[in-house]
Amino acid sequence: MNAIEFKYITKRFGDLTANYNVSFAVRKNSVHCLIGENGAGKSTLMKILFGIYKPDSGIIKINNVEKSFDSPLDAIKSNIGMLHQHFMLIEDFTILENVILGSEVTIKYKIDFEWSEKTLNNFNDKYNLGLNLEQKISEISISEQQKVEILKLLYRNSEILIFDEPTAVLSPVEVKEFYKIIEKFKDEGKTIILITHKLHEVKEIADRVTVLRRGEVVYETEKENLDINILSRKIVGDVILKNDISKETVMINQEDSVIKLSNITLRKNGHDILNKLNLSLHNGEIYGVCGVEGNGQSELVDLIFGLEKKFSGYLEKNTNKISLVPDDRLKKGMIKEFTIGENLILKDKNKLNITKKYLTGLTDEVINNFDVRVPENSVIMKLLSGGNQQKVIFAREIELNNDVLIFSHPTRGVDINATAFIHSKIIEQRNAGKAVLLISSDLDELLSLSDKFGVIYKGTLVKEFSSELENIQNETMKNKLLEKIGKLMIGISVE
Amino acid sequence: MNIIVSILSLTFFAQVLRLFTPYFLGANAANFSERAGVINIAIEGFMITSALGYALFTYLTNNIFLGFVCAILVNLLFSLLYALFVIKLKINQIVAGVGFNLLMAGLAKFLIVFIFQSSSNTPRIPDLPNIPYIQDIPYVGEVLSDYIILFSFALIFISNFVLFKTKFGLRLRSAGENPEAGESLGIKIRLYKLYGVLICGFLSALGGIWLASNQNSFSDGMVAGRGYIALAAMIIGKWKPVNILFACIMFAFFEALEITFQISGTFIPSQIIQMLPYLITILVLIGFIGKTKPPASDGIPY
Ligand SMILES: Nc1ncnc2c1ncn2[C@@H]1O[C@H](COP(=O)(O)OP(=O)(O)OP(=O)(O)O)[C@@H](O)[C@H]1O
Ligand SMILES: [Mg+2]
Repeated sequence: MNAIEFKYITKRFGDLTANYNVSFAVRKNSVHCLIGENGAGKSTLMKILFGIYKPDSGIIKINNVEKSFDSPLDAIKSNIGMLHQHFMLIEDFTILENVILGSEVTIKYKIDFEWSEKTLNNFNDKYNLGLNLEQKISEISISEQQKVEILKLLYRNSEILIFDEPTAVLSPVEVKEFYKIIEKFKDEGKTIILITHKLHEVKEIADRVTVLRRGEVVYETEKENLDINILSRKIVGDVILKNDISKETVMINQEDSVIKLSNITLRKNGHDILNKLNLSLHNGEIYGVCGVEGNGQSELVDLIFGLEKKFSGYLEKNTNKISLVPDDRLKKGMIKEFTIGENLILKDKNKLNITKKYLTGLTDEVINNFDVRVPENSVIMKLLSGGNQQKVIFAREIELNNDVLIFSHPTRGVDINATAFIHSKIIEQRNAGKAVLLISSDLDELLSLSDKFGVIYKGTLVKEFSSELENIQNETMKNKLLEKIGKLMIGISVE
Repeated sequence: MNIIVSILSLTFFAQVLRLFTPYFLGANAANFSERAGVINIAIEGFMITSALGYALFTYLTNNIFLGFVCAILVNLLFSLLYALFVIKLKINQIVAGVGFNLLMAGLAKFLIVFIFQSSSNTPRIPDLPNIPYIQDIPYVGEVLSDYIILFSFALIFISNFVLFKTKFGLRLRSAGENPEAGESLGIKIRLYKLYGVLICGFLSALGGIWLASNQNSFSDGMVAGRGYIALAAMIIGKWKPVNILFACIMFAFFEALEITFQISGTFIPSQIIQMLPYLITILVLIGFIGKTKPPASDGIPY
């Protein structure tokens, strides 16, 4: 039986067709993966299912009954829940308030806090979420925020669950935990639609896969016939980009660091967020940092960038020309209501006279060079698809031509071709003699790009690798290294 | 010496309460609106219309109760109009607020000239009734038997309860913090914004009515910036009812002090004494309050 059926769904935004004649079915009690390039229309289709957008034409059937949703309220009433690509949380509310909002249980007029707390804590235990309900969203990490979103779905007892790129923000360990939760959902008979750019995840979890390309369904397959190579070709339409730039030897003098951190300690609310950390960045070198989120990565970035000043230890900066692609693109990387062009010139201090023509030219250049998919040149950032927003921010930081580049999760939410493109750009920068700090939760990305590589745990770089990285073409060596790194990341020391 | 005695007296206490009431009603009014994400700087104007409404309708109908009800209706009507402009038509809230303030002050001036042929005030109207027996207590009986003053005491708890303990309050606040998130959970955000504006109209009406009743008439300029002080109290109080209470008490205390000084006469020039409440505000703001953060989506049309 089908839980959901899309029939001939078409949705246009002005001249842009985000979905065209989309038809496919999602079996009840299955995990259905929806994949495709940045801007292929995945999020749009899910927003239609959730009642945020109305399709221009086409129908949706839920459990074989035709439904037309005017608002998320209607979708929620049909037991549909959605975890959005960009979280829908209220920073100043507690976790508990965020979860019960809209579906509060009351005694007379008063919210039954006691009951709510008990119910939520039950879910908390059952699914191992480990949340403290009294904390405010502004105080918790991104992966915890995602768990709050999951708790929202659980609390509403949704039968059909939509996950829009849930794993983009998670570290490998957390991804595993997340898929355990998904398995549990399936065991309980729920139906799951999942969007992701990571094909090995698809291979592992999917019962059926649908590929969207430029708004249309181009391929569909069952678990049995699932082949990652075919999938990636279907996603991009046969031309798979490879990271074709190789590292050139850049002469580096290990004595001359561009940025050097010695014995840096940073205390916040009585905790050592960074703890006697040592790190130096050199020209022509990519330094990779990996670790479970919340071990000091974002503070490290803030400190080098100059946003964090209350630390002890010694920080030597031989340049102030630093580019940053931040971890939270929506909050730290852009102004949502500004156009692409306006976001691109945000950091340009020298340009005084900004004309419309200049902005349009700049936008066109970036759109062409970085293959940004947009409905129109003058669109505001908010209306770009997640991966395309990332490309714009990345483009801006590269074009600044700074001495040091910090990339925090540069390929978060970016499709395979764009990932290859971004990787080649990063190497290009390195080859041009720039110092690069790369923070990522994608180990493959880190291993293939880094010249040096450190594992961060509780605010300390517990181990640094460099020569080991030369042998990663060798599978067994690589697996050995990965195993080591995995242990280090959770605080187990290795020799 | 004299002055200290008069500060410690019950009359002084009653005076503080009297000054406190319109501030607190106004500040809570503004707070309900801003918690729903709608800035309403027209509290001043809303107090003017309700004060005039009360005086006018009490005079015309010769019935205090009808005057009271009509004054509240007048404000609810104006609130609906304000909501139409800022929620439906998404006009800039500061501009709309300034517009309403100017309109309401001008309208009041016009109406007293037009109806009463007086350039400054309406004829005398009776007080609102007081609670019997309690009003016979010496010194403080008058203020403690005043229904509106008593209501504003209750408002401390009502505001807190409604905003933080009820479903209604949670949803109202979600409209002021992150309307998109609220909407994604099926909350009718604009409706809650409307509720916020209406509650604001109701509470500011009580403030206006109290002023007119206390003075037994409406006169031009009688609200005298209290609506703005109320806004300041809300901000100093960081949009939290209990803190707003303290901010309003502070304003009322220093204003009462100023009045006492003026009556008893001191060597300090009166202009300096008049500055006192504001000076203190600035000092308190710099020294103790720290950064105040409005609801995240305050003032942004949705
Ligand atoms: N409200 C809107 N107004 C105008 N254009 C929009 C709007 N929402 C989405 N678009 C455009 O529709 C296209 C599809 O966007 P969508 O967010 O569905 O992509 P996606 O497949 O989710 O991509 P990603 O993997 O990057 O998240 C994009 O080009 C986007 O800019
Ligand atoms: Mg998307």
